[in-house]
Amino acid sequence: MAKSIIPTLALLTFFLAPDLIAEETIDSVLTAENKKQGVTRAAVGKIDDMAFLRRASVDLIGRIPTIAEVDQYLAWPQAERRNLLIDQLMANDRFADRWTVFFADLLRLRSNVDGGAALIAYVHKALQDDLPYNQLASRLIATNGKAGRVPEVGFILGDNADPLAMASVTSQVFLGVRIGCAQCHDHPFDKWTRKDFYSVAAYFGKTRRYQSNFTRAVYTSEVKQTTVMWPPEDDAAAGERKALVPSFPFTLMNKKNNPDFIVRYDALVQKRAAERSAKQGKGPTLDALFAKADKKVSRATSGSDDTALREARDEIAKVNIQGGLYRESEYREKLAALITSPRNRYFSESFVNRVWKELIGKAFVEPVDDFRADNPASHPRALGLLADEFVAHGYSFRQLVKMIVQSDVYQLKQVPVDVTDLQQQQLESAFLATPLRRMYSESLYDSIVTAGHLFDVKYTAGQNEKVIEQEVRVLLGADDQPVPVAEKLIADGTANGEAGMKKMPAAGSAAGAGYKLEEAIELDFDALLKQDDEVEVERMQVKTAEQLEAERLAMERKATVKPGMKYETKIVKRTIDDNPRFSSSLRMASPAPIGHFVRVFGQTSRNDLGEARNQTPSMRQALMMLNGRLTHEASRVGDLEPIHKYLAGKKPQIDEAVQFAYREILTREPSGDELAGAKRLLDEAKSVTDGMADLRWILLNSNEFRFLP
Amino acid sequence: MGCNEYKLSRRTMMGASGASLLGFSIRDLLAFSGKDHKAKAEHVILFWNGGGMSHIDTWDPKPGRSTQGEFDPISTSVPGIQISEIFPQLAKQMHHAALVRSIAGTQGAHGRATYNLQTSYLPGANLRHPGVGSVVVHELENQSDLPPYVTISGQAPRAGYLGQKCEAYYVAAPGEKDPYLAFPEGIAKVRGDRRLEELAKFNKGFKGRKEDSRLASTQTSINEAVRLMRSPALEAFALDKVKPATIERYGDTNFGRGALLAKRLVETGVRFVQVNRGGFDTHSNNFPAMTNHGGVMDPALASLIEDLKQTGMLEKTMVIMLSEFGRTPRVNDNAGRDHWPGVFSCFLAGGGIKGGQVIGSSDEDGAAPKDRPVEVASIHATLCHALGINHDKEVMTPLQRPMKLVDDGKPVMELFG
Repeated sequence: MAKSIIPTLALLTFFLAPDLIAEETIDSVLTAENKKQGVTRAAVGKIDDMAFLRRASVDLIGRIPTIAEVDQYLAWPQAERRNLLIDQLMANDRFADRWTVFFADLLRLRSNVDGGAALIAYVHKALQDDLPYNQLASRLIATNGKAGRVPEVGFILGDNADPLAMASVTSQVFLGVRIGCAQCHDHPFDKWTRKDFYSVAAYFGKTRRYQSNFTRAVYTSEVKQTTVMWPPEDDAAAGERKALVPSFPFTLMNKKNNPDFIVRYDALVQKRAAERSAKQGKGPTLDALFAKADKKVSRATSGSDDTALREARDEIAKVNIQGGLYRESEYREKLAALITSPRNRYFSESFVNRVWKELIGKAFVEPVDDFRADNPASHPRALGLLADEFVAHGYSFRQLVKMIVQSDVYQLKQVPVDVTDLQQQQLESAFLATPLRRMYSESLYDSIVTAGHLFDVKYTAGQNEKVIEQEVRVLLGADDQPVPVAEKLIADGTANGEAGMKKMPAAGSAAGAGYKLEEAIELDFDALLKQDDEVEVERMQVKTAEQLEAERLAMERKATVKPGMKYETKIVKRTIDDNPRFSSSLRMASPAPIGHFVRVFGQTSRNDLGEARNQTPSMRQALMMLNGRLTHEASRVGDLEPIHKYLAGKKPQIDEAVQFAYREILTREPSGDELAGAKRLLDEAKSVTDGMADLRWILLNSNEFRFLP
Repeated sequence: MGCNEYKLSRRTMMGASGASLLGFSIRDLLAFSGKDHKAKAEHVILFWNGGGMSHIDTWDPKPGRSTQGEFDPISTSVPGIQISEIFPQLAKQMHHAALVRSIAGTQGAHGRATYNLQTSYLPGANLRHPGVGSVVVHELENQSDLPPYVTISGQAPRAGYLGQKCEAYYVAAPGEKDPYLAFPEGIAKVRGDRRLEELAKFNKGFKGRKEDSRLASTQTSINEAVRLMRSPALEAFALDKVKPATIERYGDTNFGRGALLAKRLVETGVRFVQVNRGGFDTHSNNFPAMTNHGGVMDPALASLIEDLKQTGMLEKTMVIMLSEFGRTPRVNDNAGRDHWPGVFSCFLAGGGIKGGQVIGSSDEDGAAPKDRPVEVASIHATLCHALGINHDKEVMTPLQRPMKLVDDGKPVMELFG
């Protein structure tokens, strides 16, 4: 949002009576703004109940509904169905899984960078607990510590704590501003100068990334000397360059204005602080850990200080035994307070704009990370209202999502068949129709697993027996009898050794060939957060270099194979029951290896800033869907599946089976023609189960499956 | 399927179909209008030697110096050019090949140097530059049913901002079957074809909504996939029908089969093939390791060049071998050599490269460029030049930042004679 618009907006909200604001909804504001902009077309109608079930399930928990969920939903009274569903979906464990993917894209979380896997687990936990977004952001911006052990530090370690990179990242991610363009030259289309850019970078100037030579542990801490100098290297001789004092080029809302949402936010913060101080004395809780961030915020908003908060902060200082080594960053704490201030409209507006885009398909400001004067919001008041409510609700992510999915806009149909391209564009731009959206890759994957009953074994024992040849290394013992040592490692690449990471090739490393490109091995998020390893780095501080070298050599000796041990490689045959099972892709190490299903369908490398998911089809996607193991196994009918009862026996109930398949895969009933066509397909197949597998394969591969209703 | 988006411009379509105007092919006209030369190369086979290959023990021997190491130089088919004794067969093909002995690298760590040598750029914060193979397939239209960019026995660099369509198709090991190119196990052709037919019908009947190019594109991608599955060109991937004697001639190693596969792929029109091999990070026991590498690489490279020459493909196929840096002139206490970006060499043949010449030289110990230093990015510029690609052309990143295809390199024009 441009500087010039902010005061206008503030004034607007200021002069409106508070009770009037409370009655405004996102839908009423959009209608008013459309009217003002001369848009006269009416909205297309709302989607039907089944379509809503499918859309909301994919959006909120990252997969299509199961039959049991369909039945339960239909059993609810029609008038309450949609709201009950929203509550139920938001209470589902998968809600945090699904939105971790959203945050992972936003924050460029990578499980293969230092502390990356722990950070993903941390964000997942934050979503489970509905940690306020301002606190999450503050922690990511300001925390120092050891990778993995202090999960939040994974954020700046993702860019090696490089001040110039962090200037771009924090501005673009948290404020939706591409100030990074001003790194090499003044911004071509915006007001940002190189000096602005370097001033933001200077907040990170005293932070250093360290790596222990001994343990390889990576951590960040602070030094006295900043690395950010002005003028830049290419602009001045070394002698002329001076340390740059950080400053914040983004304008905050004037402190004299106290619009309703700030009043409400202050009240909420104070209420929470009171609750916390009532609970005090029970040792540091997670809440207490975040009190510090609250304090800064309350100081920024009301200027008040709070004894309870100060005491909570002292409590934290006591438990922070590593305080000496991982010094806190004063500069970055200041930056975090400025970025997350409720008076920073960039912070709240850019975030609600992103979440709106994720759920509605089109944002108020596009691209979502390009807020600037000559790229104004299509509906500034609607955007402002969402941002106000987000702040007033204490930056609750769940409240924000709920507000959006409960709106009328969220429930709109797509444009009807007969509109022109221009009309379509008008309708979608005015939020009078829903744009066509393809499921993102993880949802597509998990929806196929759900439709195909592949989270669990779907066959009784012995139906998928196979003889396989396996390569094993055997140790020749003293009596020369082979002793099995270990199966040949198929994929190993997680060198950073964080707990909870297992088996999966490291992101970015060579993916295994064959069908491994469709496997999803889940991370153990809990284990990743419970890293009670010894304080290696601290231990190191009290040792001499000689001691360290001796220990290193000892470790090396331990790692090497003892002389005299002999191994040989053998091929053994084994019979296994090769039952297909797939895990959720929402919890796998990410980004997935190159060529993996979820990468092929658009998951990014999370390396480049502002990299958007590519949602266009490709030949590789088609090959994966047509011939892959996932769709194949999802199509095959297992005898433990509910649909099997319609197909088994002498008199199969074909109509019921087809209806069941449509409901299960497409969340709707088949039309008369579709039923007839399906029956023909089953009739002409070698067996009804083969025919059903063909039908399911077709439905899973269809456009209707992958595009949201 | 091509790296360029589905919609080919009219101009490139005419170029691809060989349409001509006033007797000139469109390609010639484009060459005349855009550049001052007629590009000869149409394909590239890049051998990527991971780990940093010793330059002194391969292309730039230093006989009589303390840095020489254990290998003697041998004469080649070109009087005056000597290479290491680990390449006896390749020495006989030297009249087809050129060497650059004065690459001045700047990066001594594997990660950064690999990035530099594969993309021409230095790694920067939060932006991934495309590998040169992605650049090539981004710029040139597809000639075959097969994917235009294939990497064998290892990953190719990412396509970065050029997008997924410019990523390499990955072959884990030459000759290995890609399960995604055929119907799943147990689905016979008749049944699979029936499924495809019904699927197309179902997608067509996806009514109640407006026509949308995204929906149509799904079907386009399916059609392309099916065309590839049914393409006779897929035969190129299968090495089981190749005469054993041929495989033997390439050395019957994974690398040899990789080179053979690369040859078969460019013959069917694949634009860019990268063949990967590791094990060059010889900090200890450099000489036995390099003897072994020579034994593997020599028959493969020599046979490849010989075969490409025989079929006339060498004229339009550039064979190039790169590694992230050279290795120290000094032999260390573990009989190894360490990282040395200061100067190293590159082997090139075909695709318009004038054979039998050496560009630049290193000093007497192989420690620094002596004359005609060549920047790393100039190698990529040379490669683009050979293919008629304007290496200075700018493309937009997703954030609308213009980036040159190659980072400020200048083609080494002497290589083209």
